[in-house]
Amino acid sequence: MSIIEVTDLTKYYGKARGIVGISFNVEEGEIFGFIGPNGAGKSTTIRLLLSLIHPTNGSAKVFGKDVVAHGPEIRRDIGYLPSEVYYYEGMKVIDLLKYSASFYNCDCTQRMHELSETMELELNRRVSDLSYGNKKKVGIVQGLLHSPKLLFLDEPTAGLDPLMQRKFFDLIRAENARGVTVFFSSHILGEVQRLCTRVGIIREGKIVEISNIRTLQQNNYKKVRVTAEGLTPGSFDLPGVTNVQVEDGMVNFFFKGDINTVLQKISAIQVADVTIEEPTLEEIFMHYYE
Amino acid sequence: MNIFLRELKANLKSLLIWSAIIILLIFMAGAKYSAFAGDPELLNMLDSMPPALLDALSMSAFNLTTISGFYGVMFIYFALMAAIAAAIWGSDSISKEERDKTVEFSLVLPVTRSRVVTAKALAALVNCVVFVLITWVMSLVAVRSYNPDQAFYNFLALEMEAMFAIELVFLAIGLLLGCSMKQYKLSGSAAIAIILTTYFMSIMAVMNENLDFLKYFTPFKYFDAGELLRTGKMDGMYLLISAAIVVACVAAAYWFYNKRDLYI
Repeated sequence: MSIIEVTDLTKYYGKARGIVGISFNVEEGEIFGFIGPNGAGKSTTIRLLLSLIHPTNGSAKVFGKDVVAHGPEIRRDIGYLPSEVYYYEGMKVIDLLKYSASFYNCDCTQRMHELSETMELELNRRVSDLSYGNKKKVGIVQGLLHSPKLLFLDEPTAGLDPLMQRKFFDLIRAENARGVTVFFSSHILGEVQRLCTRVGIIREGKIVEISNIRTLQQNNYKKVRVTAEGLTPGSFDLPGVTNVQVEDGMVNFFFKGDINTVLQKISAIQVADVTIEEPTLEEIFMHYYE
Repeated sequence: MNIFLRELKANLKSLLIWSAIIILLIFMAGAKYSAFAGDPELLNMLDSMPPALLDALSMSAFNLTTISGFYGVMFIYFALMAAIAAAIWGSDSISKEERDKTVEFSLVLPVTRSRVVTAKALAALVNCVVFVLITWVMSLVAVRSYNPDQAFYNFLALEMEAMFAIELVFLAIGLLLGCSMKQYKLSGSAAIAIILTTYFMSIMAVMNENLDFLKYFTPFKYFDAGELLRTGKMDGMYLLISAAIVVACVAAAYWFYNKRDLYI
């Protein structure tokens, strides 16, 4: 069953574009990466799915229920970590977490303490005294304490130090292993690459590509580097070759097409070294944005 | 229940500040009255003042040298403070969540927006009730030394009921502004603007006979202290209009808040 089904979802803020005609599905148990630059519409999409804002057009279903009609019911099984967390300033962390827990039909006390321990969160401090990173930790615990079936993470790692980031990713992987579906929005491609199985790339309010991370990498450019004497920029003058750079007897280029044509060319030369790599998500990403 | 309790706690500081202000007002007024009490010369002086001025200050209907008359003049100040406090409680309890950006937390919880509005409105209502009770009790304390008669106590009770009615009207208006306006910065100022406008309308309605019709548009005129003192009861028609305003504003508040985008 698809946990999230988005059909032709459109949101305009007055005349300003939020997202335009977005459609995608997220399947149960997967970690879906949602990547795009700032202002592409990532947060807008999440807020529509949480029914904090209402669509101009189109519809979205979570757990098979329409988000506008069944928002509160859906949100019982959702955990949300926004990019910037804001809580009632005067409250203590422990009181805030208990307050949050009181809305769910569960006894979350034990889990709350486990999570706080993992994230090294001090429960007796006031929210107003917390640093940005510590508020983020509160957000992580608060978003997970009721054992949600679906997690929305909106640029979750901002403000966390590398150690905490790793703990956080371990936590998300563990949740995912329990069957939790994760919707992971980010513009940091490294973390999406590490965590996600499938990605959707959003740009200027529209989805430009949805695919498996592996296929995305395989069907894309290969990065080729050849070291040999006497190479010139014209040495690999083949169809499908782009971005040729020559330095110190080394040629770098991108290639898309039948890899055999390149291999034949290379085998005709006396080479010192050859590498053929898949591009990083970063490089694919840049390609979509150019 | 959890939203209601949290809201009560969050509102407590504001309630304490408003209560301190009104207690100060009551005791300062009490001290002032001691200068007027039973002084016939004051009456002569007031008689020599232009009637329009007395009308504007809503002093013409009262004998300032009696405690009832004095409290009649005081009523408009109670009413204004109650109106401002109630309107701010109504609009702020909704709009502060957007101002402090906590709405991304509080409305991602599995709650309907209507439940949020209900809890917050009830918490603000509790503030209003407490505010009236404090005004009432402190007034009783402040006038004790003048040994007021039963008529005064009856009039005070009536004034406090009227003050509560005004609170309800402006609480509902404030709630509507908080729920309907996406620009949270504006909702509080809009509430104050409405209060001041309706207050000046109530003055204009008295001063100029051609503007008499304005009295239907200003809650301050629905519960005019002079009329309360004269008739000893609240006007049924005005009570009905007030109730209609409250119901309409509250219904509209729910409707808007369920429909609109939250400002994040």
